[in-house]
Amino acid sequence: MTQTAVMREDVRRAIGRTAVLEEGAADPGWLNARREEAWDIYEATPLPSTRSEEWRYTDVARLLPLDELEPAAGGPARVAALPEGLRRAMAQDRESAGRIVDVDGRVVSVELDEALAAQGVVLSSLREAARAGMPEVESLLATEAVPASDGKFAALNAALWSDGVFLYVPRGVRVDRTIRLSRWISRPGTATFTRILIVAEELSRLSFVDEILSPDFSSATLVNTAVELFSRGGAQVQYVSLQRMGEGGVYLANQRTLAERDSTLDTLNVALGGSVGRVDLNARLLGPGANSDMLGLYFGDSNQHFDFNTSQDHVAPNAHSDLLYKGALDGAARGIFRGIIRVHDGAQGTDAYQTNRNLILSDEAISTSLPNLEIEADDVRCSHGATVGQLDAEALFYLMSRGLRREQAERLVVLGFLGEVLSKLPLGGVVEKVTQAIEAKLRYV
Amino acid sequence: MPSNEVIQGLGLDDYKFGFVTDSEPVFKTRPGLDEEVVRQISARKDEPEWMLKRRLKALRIYQAKPMPQWGGDLSELEETLSRTYFYSKPQEQMERSWDDVPENIKQTFERLGIPEAERKILAGVGAQYDSEMVYHSLKEEWESKGVIFDSIEDGLKNHPELFRKHFGTVIPAADNKFAALNSAVWSGGSFVYIPPGVQLETPLQAYFRVNQERLGQFERTLIIAGEGSRAHYIEGCTAPVYSTDSFHSGVIEIVVNRDAYFRYTTIQNWSNNMYNLVTQRALVQQGAHMEWLDGNLGSKLTMKYPSCYLMGEGAHGEILSIAYAGDGQHQDTGGKVIHVAPRTTSSIVSKSISKGTGRASYRGLCKVYDGASNARSNVECDALLINETSRTDTFPYIEIDEKSATVGHEATVSKVGDEQLFYLMSRGMDEAEAMALIVRGFIEPIAKELPLEYAVELNRLIELEMEGSVG
Repeated sequence: MTQTAVMREDVRRAIGRTAVLEEGAADPGWLNARREEAWDIYEATPLPSTRSEEWRYTDVARLLPLDELEPAAGGPARVAALPEGLRRAMAQDRESAGRIVDVDGRVVSVELDEALAAQGVVLSSLREAARAGMPEVESLLATEAVPASDGKFAALNAALWSDGVFLYVPRGVRVDRTIRLSRWISRPGTATFTRILIVAEELSRLSFVDEILSPDFSSATLVNTAVELFSRGGAQVQYVSLQRMGEGGVYLANQRTLAERDSTLDTLNVALGGSVGRVDLNARLLGPGANSDMLGLYFGDSNQHFDFNTSQDHVAPNAHSDLLYKGALDGAARGIFRGIIRVHDGAQGTDAYQTNRNLILSDEAISTSLPNLEIEADDVRCSHGATVGQLDAEALFYLMSRGLRREQAERLVVLGFLGEVLSKLPLGGVVEKVTQAIEAKLRYV
Repeated sequence: MPSNEVIQGLGLDDYKFGFVTDSEPVFKTRPGLDEEVVRQISARKDEPEWMLKRRLKALRIYQAKPMPQWGGDLSELEETLSRTYFYSKPQEQMERSWDDVPENIKQTFERLGIPEAERKILAGVGAQYDSEMVYHSLKEEWESKGVIFDSIEDGLKNHPELFRKHFGTVIPAADNKFAALNSAVWSGGSFVYIPPGVQLETPLQAYFRVNQERLGQFERTLIIAGEGSRAHYIEGCTAPVYSTDSFHSGVIEIVVNRDAYFRYTTIQNWSNNMYNLVTQRALVQQGAHMEWLDGNLGSKLTMKYPSCYLMGEGAHGEILSIAYAGDGQHQDTGGKVIHVAPRTTSSIVSKSISKGTGRASYRGLCKVYDGASNARSNVECDALLINETSRTDTFPYIEIDEKSATVGHEATVSKVGDEQLFYLMSRGMDEAEAMALIVRGFIEPIAKELPLEYAVELNRLIELEMEGSVG
C-alpha cells in the first residue's frame, strides 16, 4: 500500500471510526472542516526532502517510517495510574498555578488555581475548549500562527491533533507561578499529534512549561507538536519546552510566537532526549517595542540528531529579538542549527541578534551551523555569531590544577557552557531540573 | 539622516567605462548554443581531439543540469543565453608588442586608463580583448626563470602534457551548471606555470574586457604554482554598457603546490547588465598558502564564491572579499574553505555596501572534515546599508565533523551612523566628504591589501561620486 493510502486510512481512523472519532462527533463543524482542509494540504504537500534548504541535514524520510506508525489512541487514563517516570518528573516541579497532564495525546487531568479561574483565566483541554465554543479557539487555532499551509507536518498536525492545551489569560491578569503541561508517551511505534494554544491578553503575564517524557522505545515513535503563542500589547509570556523523551522518540515541533506592541514573548527550547528532535521556531515581532528572547540548549550523545530551524521576523519597526542557542555534542550525535533574521521592508530601528555556539566532545560528533541574515531596512543593528569548538583547555587545566579529575573537570566545563542559557531564563524549577538531567547524561558519557 | 542628494551622490553607479569601440570581429559563432557551436569553437582553435571530446561531454552535463534555484534571480538568464554569441575572435594573430596592437583597440585601453605604469613596470601584461589574448608580453628575466604566462590556448598548444595533467582537475565540468558551460565553450584566459622555488616580486596582470554586444565571455584560467614558489596574479574586468544583458562565466583553477604562496586578485567592474557567474577554486597542498582577494563592484548579478581546498597538512587559505551593490545590482558573493588535512587554517573577511535598491549577499561555507585535526577557521562579515531600500543578507554554512576544530563566524550589519556623520561634520567636513570618509574607512581593511593602483582606483571611484553630490 502506498504511504498516502495508509495515511488516508489513518485519518479515517482518527476522525472516522475509532474512539477519537466517536468523540469527534461532538466537535464543532468548523473544526471538522478545518481538519479536512488540512488533510487536503497534507496530501498535496510532498514530504520534505534533503534537497530543500530547510531540511538539508535532516532526512525525514529515512529517520521516520511514517507509513508504519499507528495513531496513538486510547481512552482517558486515571491520574492514579500515571506512569512512574512521569510522576517522578512531576514531583520535581515546584509549586504551579496550574497543570495539565497528557498521556499518549489525551488530556487526563486539568488543575488550575481557583483564584485565577475566578479572575477569568482559562486552562483547558484544547478539545474541550473548542467544544465549549471559546471564540479564541475558533479564530486562532491553526490560522495565524501555525496554519496547515506551514508545511507537511503542520498540515498533518492540523488534521490529526487529538488534544492539547488552551490557556487564556485576560487583560491585566498576572499569573506569577508557572503553568505546566506534563506529557507522557507510552506506546512505541505510535504517532501523537498535540496542539498548544496560548493567548495572553493586554498587560497580562504568564509562564508555561511544556515537558515531554517517555520510556526508551525499540521503534521510531513520533510526537508532533504545534505551539501557537500570542502576546497582546504589553503582555509578558514565557514558554519553555523540555524534550526528554527516551530512545526512539522522534520529536517534531512547529512553534510560532506572535508578539504585539510592547509585549515580551520569550522561549526556551531544551532538547536532551529522543533519537531525533526537530524544532521549527518562528518569532514574529508585530508591533513596535515588541521583544523576543529566544533561548535554546541541546546536549546530544550516542546517535541523537537535533535540528533547530529558527527565524526572527521583524515586521514592525523598533522591535528587539535576541537568540542564543548552545549545544554540546558527544558520541556520534549530530547538531544542526539554522537560524535566520529577516528584517522586513520598513522595520527601521530593529535590534536583532543571533548566536549559536557548539561544543564538540567526541571524534564522531558533527555540528552544522547556518546563521543567516536577510535585511531590507537600513536603520538596523543586527549581528550574528556562530562558533564550533572543543572544551576550553585552559578552563580544564585550571580545574584539574585544583584537584579535580579530568572527567569531573570536563563535566563542570560542559555544565558551565550550557548553564549560560539557563541563567537567562531563571524559571522556577526549570534550571534545577535541566541541570540534573544534564548531569545524569554526563554520568553516562 | 544624510540628505537625499548625498545619498544619490554616494553611488559608484555611473558607469564611467560605458563606451563602445568599433571593432569588427574576424569570426563569431551564431547566437545560442548547441553541439555545432562547440565543434566550431574547438575547430577554430585547432584543438586536439581529447579537448573536443571534453567540451562535448561538458555540453551534455550543462544541458542536463537544472538552473540553480538559490542565490540570485536567474529567471531571465535562459533568454539571455539564447541571444548570446558564445565565441568571437577579434584578430587572427597574437601580438607580441604594444605597437602592433590596432589603434582602435589601443584607444579602448587608453580610455579605460590602464596605467602607463602597468605596461612599463609591471612585468607580464596579458590584455584580453573580447575572447582572445591580443596582447601579451613577458619580462625577459621571467622567461629565463622558466615562468610560463600564456593565453590558455597557447598553454594547450605549447605545453600539452602539463596542461592535460591539470586541466579540469580542480573544477571538473560536473561541478556545477556554469562550470559545465564554461568547460564546453571556454575561450581566452591565462595559463600560468611558476617553476618550483621561483619567486616573483611583481604581479602577473591580465586586464581584459568584453566589448562585443551580447558576447558571452567564458575565460578559463589554469595556474600551477610549483613547490616553494611565490607569485601574485591580478585580473581586472570592465565591460561597456549595452542595453541587452550579457553573460560572463569564468572558471579559474589553481594548484598551489607544497610550501608555495599564491595570491589571486580580481576587481570586477562589469557594467550593470552583466550576469557574472564564476567558479574559482584553489587546491592548496602541504604548507602552502593561498589568498583570494575578490572585489565585486559591477554586474547586474554576480554569483562568485572563491574557494580554498586545504588538502595538505598546515595549508592556509585566505579570502578577502568586498562587494558594492548599487541600484538594481545583486552581489551574491562570499567564499568557501574546505579543511581536509590536519592543522589547516583559514580566514574569510567580507565587507559589503548596499546602496539604493542594491542587494549584497554573503554566502559562504566552512567545512571541516573528520581527521582535519586542530583545523582553525574564522569568518567575519560586515555589511553597510546606505538607504532604506538597500538590502543585505548573510548565509554562512558551517559544517564541522572534527572534534578538535575551532571555528568562528561573526557578522554585523549597520548603517552609516548619524553620530559618525555629525562628528566629522562638526570638524568642518561637508556631508558628502564625511560620508565618503566613513565608507572608505569601512572598506579600508581590504583596500589596503590591494596593489597601489587598484586601491587608488577604488578610493578615487568613491571620491568621484561624492564630489558631485554637494549642492
